[in-house]
Parts: sequence; structure tokens; C-alpha cells
Amino acid sequence: MTTSDLLILCAAGMLVSAFLMVGQRALFTTIRLYGVQSLFLGVVAAVIALSESRHELLVTAVITVALKAILIPWYLMRIIDRIGIHREIEPFLNVPASLMVCLGLTVVGYRVSTGFPQGGRGESHHLIGVALSMLLIGMFLMVTRKKAITQILALLTVENAVFLVAVGVTPGMPLVVELGIAFDVIVAVLLLGILVQRIVDRFESMDVSRLSKLKG
Amino acid sequence: MNVLILTLAVPLIAAALGGFGGSRRFKEIVMVGGLALTFILCLATAFKFLGGTVPAAFGEALRVDGLSALVLVLGGFVGLLSGVYGVGYLRRNEARKLVTPRMRAEFFGLIPAYVFAMLLVSVSNNLGVLWIAVELTTLASVFLITFHDKDTSLEAGWKFLVLGSLGLAFALLGTVLLYASGKGHLGEGMARLNWTQFMETASTLHPFTLRLGVMFALIGYGTKAGLAPMHTWKPDAYREAPSPAGVLMAVGMLNGALYCVLRIHLISKAALGPAFSGDLLLGLGLLSVLIATPFVLVQWNLKRLLAYSSIEHVGIIAVGFGLGSEAAVFGALLHMTYHSLAKPVTFFSAGTLAQLHSSSNFDRIGNGTLSRAPVASGLLVLGSLMVMGSPPFGLFFSEMIILRAGFSGPHVAATAVFLAALVVLFCGFAYQIGRLVLGPPRDPSDRRVPAPERLDVSTATAIVAAIVAVVSAFYLPAWLLALIHAAAAVVGGGV
Repeated sequence: MTTSDLLILCAAGMLVSAFLMVGQRALFTTIRLYGVQSLFLGVVAAVIALSESRHELLVTAVITVALKAILIPWYLMRIIDRIGIHREIEPFLNVPASLMVCLGLTVVGYRVSTGFPQGGRGESHHLIGVALSMLLIGMFLMVTRKKAITQILALLTVENAVFLVAVGVTPGMPLVVELGIAFDVIVAVLLLGILVQRIVDRFESMDVSRLSKLKG
Repeated sequence: MNVLILTLAVPLIAAALGGFGGSRRFKEIVMVGGLALTFILCLATAFKFLGGTVPAAFGEALRVDGLSALVLVLGGFVGLLSGVYGVGYLRRNEARKLVTPRMRAEFFGLIPAYVFAMLLVSVSNNLGVLWIAVELTTLASVFLITFHDKDTSLEAGWKFLVLGSLGLAFALLGTVLLYASGKGHLGEGMARLNWTQFMETASTLHPFTLRLGVMFALIGYGTKAGLAPMHTWKPDAYREAPSPAGVLMAVGMLNGALYCVLRIHLISKAALGPAFSGDLLLGLGLLSVLIATPFVLVQWNLKRLLAYSSIEHVGIIAVGFGLGSEAAVFGALLHMTYHSLAKPVTFFSAGTLAQLHSSSNFDRIGNGTLSRAPVASGLLVLGSLMVMGSPPFGLFFSEMIILRAGFSGPHVAATAVFLAALVVLFCGFAYQIGRLVLGPPRDPSDRRVPAPERLDVSTATAIVAAIVAVVSAFYLPAWLLALIHAAAAVVGGGV
């Protein structure tokens, strides 16, 4: 298997995990799927780092796996355990319809990706296609789901999509910037987690569609 | 030591000291002293720039040009005002036994931290650092919004963080795509992401990637600025945040986010010509002004009214930059300056009224506040006159400059719609404030009697802010005008 095949396989894995997240209602499984998605992202970064001997990308890979495949999923699972809510309720749009919409979004994502220059690697077309599709799917998840935790996961899916673009088509972000971004992401997730717990304490639910007092 | 680094270090140290132990007295002194020193250092940095040297640090990752200097000075000024007002604000709440030690630590820690992040935004030359700084402002403000820990503040905080994070994810994607459009020709190290680097290599950037990147970045940073249709977090957040934090968001963050929008706009202008991002800004700005109109007319809450006014003003400034002619750009920057001076007056007086009545809802405050709280009401009327853009105050002139530039350019129809919306907004705002302040006084049998108004630190701050704002309408110091001209030179005129 060539490097290019491996990259395309991992990118496809990320896309599939995004689709599975859309079809999934058990929150634990959704979080694990996010973990798997981040793992694929880490592998993409590591493969590019090794095949093109761009060693600063290895740091990206390590940060991605440690932070997004292990630490954040663990933290989110701990929150769910503590508040004892395990399933997503009926989304605004049912699962088959959601999957159809996401299929359409993937087509859009791939269509836009054709405008990019091909670059050194033929597979960067796939990486951008997958990334843009995941971006759209993440946004779709965000508007159709009601549980606060699912919204956080949708946000993180969008974040993963951005990082796929970053490792796929740029010569790598400067290390300082990379670390700064990682720090900001982890603090954001931490704050979101604290807010979810406060919301659950207050409303005895993490159904964000109940957060509707503020209008006009 | 580098004055620029010092400017950023002082609020950070103040935040660290304020966030941990120590008596209330100590925290107050640290915050006010720290923010006063910060403002002085901001001025020193700006004067160093005016003196001909370009203050920079960390391999030009931080760099002060005209635009940075203007936003930096305005940020420092608002930071100081908000700090002093904040001391009084918290004292009032202490007197009513509403403050826990946790809240005290959050307040004295987060306000200087917010000021730090805000100032960092305004001096970032590196697009990566810029993104990190904007994210820091978001993170610092979440617990300020949920400060009072009510149902509604949790809701506002949640919406703010989720929408803000989504916007920032877009901005990050935009930054990454801009970087990708350089096709590796942007050089080495941190400098690869420097704005100055992008400007130098603008003609070699890949157009499609760049266009997509600019779009995402403008939408992302536009969300933080509160441009419609990404403005929905603003009324909620402004209503729930304590007034000192509200001012930081309404002026500091607004200028900071506009700074980001401008940096992206300028890269786009240099590489793709003025039409692409200029028209986008014009459209978003016009939409903001139009969307604010109905909500001002039917508003039921004083602080939400101010939020829609803020959406209006960010729209006006975006229209000015979108029009792009020399006069329009100057008008927009002048508008930004006057807005930064006038807005705190309305926020401080509205905050006082809200505190006296324990609510910012119009029906809880009741009509005829002039008889109950003459100072705050008077300041609210004065501040509102300035913010509405009535003569002889500054915002009137800056709006006129933008309108004139619009009518003499190619976008006459858009300018006509813009003018109509401004007129309706003027009337709507005047109606709401007039009803609140003048109106028939409350029925004496009503037992929800508010606490009497006191002349304390907060009121004094509001009066000082009002004096500065009024004086600025008639006399703008030469150095401030020089800063505005320097900023206009960065943004550039001529279509």
C-alpha cells in the first residue's frame, strides 16, 4: 500500500466516522467515534510527516492523538457519567433524512475542492474534499441536535476538518501557533464542559432547545 | 525593555494578582492601578509609533502600525474606564450581599485578562497569533457573561461560546486557507503567517484558495464583531454581562474584531482587488443596519437595546470600509473612534439604572426615571444623543462623511437604503430612551421602590467618560487625529 493510499484511507475513515456520528444516538458511541476520527487525523499527520520528512508535523500528530483522541473524549465521557444522560433524544430531523442531507453535503464539499491547485500530492484533492464535507456535516449536526454534548462534538468535528486542511494542503503551521491553538481548544472544551454541568444542574436537562428564554 | 511587551504584560500580571487571594481592597487597587498603567503604556506605544519607529516584538509577530496604534489606544482607554467603573459596580453589589468570593476572584481576574487579550488582538501582525488572541477574548468573556449565574445568563453564555467557537473555527479555516494560498512561498518560521508577509507576496497568492479563505475568515471574524446575520449572540450576551464587561465587549471586542476583518480585507484587496471583500463588507454592514432596525423599534430591554445599537454601529463601520474610497475609510475610522468614546457613557448609565432596579427590562425599570435617578438618566440621554448620531456630536459627522462618500461613489442605491435605515434607527432609539427617561413617573402606590442613586466611583466614571466624549466632539487632540490618519493610510483609500 502506498503512502497515498494510506492517506486516502484515513481521510475516508474520518468521513465515515462523521457519517456514523450523524446516525448514532448513544452519546458514548458518538464520543468514541469522535475519538476514532481524531486518531485518523493523527495518522494522516504522522504519515505526511514521515513520507515528506517534515518532522514538525510529528508534533502535530502527537498533540492531536493525545488531546483529541484520548483527553477530550475521556473528559466528555466523564461529564456524561456524572450527569447520567446517555442518549440523544429525537433530533429535529430523523436519521435516514439526515444521512441523505449529509450525502448531499459531501457532494458539495467535493465539488468545491476541485477548485484547489493539485499541489505536490494527488491525494490533497481528497483531503480537502473530505475536510470540506466534514465541515458541512459538523455544522449540520450542530443545528439539528438538541443535546449540549452533541453540539460540542459537532464543534469538534468542524475543528478536525480545519486541521485536516491544515495538514493536508499547507506546509504546516508554525509550532508556536500550533501550540497556542491546541491550548485554546482545550480551554474551550473545558469551559463548554463546565457550562454543560451548570446547565444540567439548573435545568435538570442538557436539552439546549430549552434554552429559549432570550428573544427579540 | 520593549514598551510593547510591557503594555501586554501589565494587564496579564494584574489578572493573575486579581484572580487569586488577597483582600478586596488589594484587588481593587491592583485592577485600577494595573489598567491605568496599561493605558499609559498604550499611549507610550502609540507615541513611539508617531515618533517614527515601528514598535515590534517576537520577530514582528507583534507589530504596531497606524491601525494597531489606534485600536490599541482605544482599547486601553476603554479598559481603564471599565476597570474603574467595575470597582464601583462590584461595591454596589457587595452592599446588597450579592457577591461571593468566587465571583470576586472571577471579576478581578477576568476583566484585566480580557483587556490583555483585547490589546493582544490589536497588535498582532501574525495571523496565527491574531486567531489565538481572539479566541482568548472569547474564553475570558464566557464567565463574565454567566457572572450572575441565572438561567438566562447560562443560556446567553452557552450560545455565546458555541456560536463564538463556530465562528472562530471558520476564522481558523480561513487563516489556514490563506496560508495554503501562499503555496509555500511565504518564507520560513513564524514569519510565514505574518500579515506583512502576505501583503508583500499578495500577487503570487493562489486566487481560488485565497477567495475561499477570505470568505471563511470574514464570516468568522464577522461573527465576533457581531455583523448580521452572525449577530444573534450579541443581545443575549450584552444583557447578561455585568456592565463593565459589556463595555469591554461592545467597544474593545468590536474594535478588535473589526481589526481582524480589516487585516483580512486588506490582504484580499491587495491580491484580488477591492471589489471582492469590499462588496462582502458592504453587504454584511448594510444587512446589520437593516436587521437592527425592527429590533430597536420593539425592544423590551435596555441592555438589548444597546446591543442592537452596537450591531448598527458595526454595520455602519463595515459599510464605510466596504465603500472603500478614501473619505469613506476615514469616516469609518473616525466613527470607530467616536463610537468607542460615546458607547461607554450609555453602558455605564444603563448599568446604573439596571442595578438600581435590579433588572434591565423596561417594564421593571418603569417610565420616568429622570425623577428617581437624575444623574444616570441625564447621562443616558446625553450618551444616547451621541450614540444615535445627533449633531453636534462626533458620530453625526462620521456618519455624514460615510454617507457623502457613498452618494458620490458607485453604490448610490445601497447608500440610500442605508440612510433610510439610519433615520428609522435614530427615531426608534430616541423613542425608546425618551419613553424610559421622561414618560409619566411610576405610580406612587407601586411598592418596588428602587434604591436611591448615590454618587460613587461608578457614577464618577460615567461623568468623566461623558465629559471626554463631549469634549472630543469639539476638540480632537492632534495626536489622536494623527493616529486616525495613520490608520487610514494603512487601510488605504482610492478605489
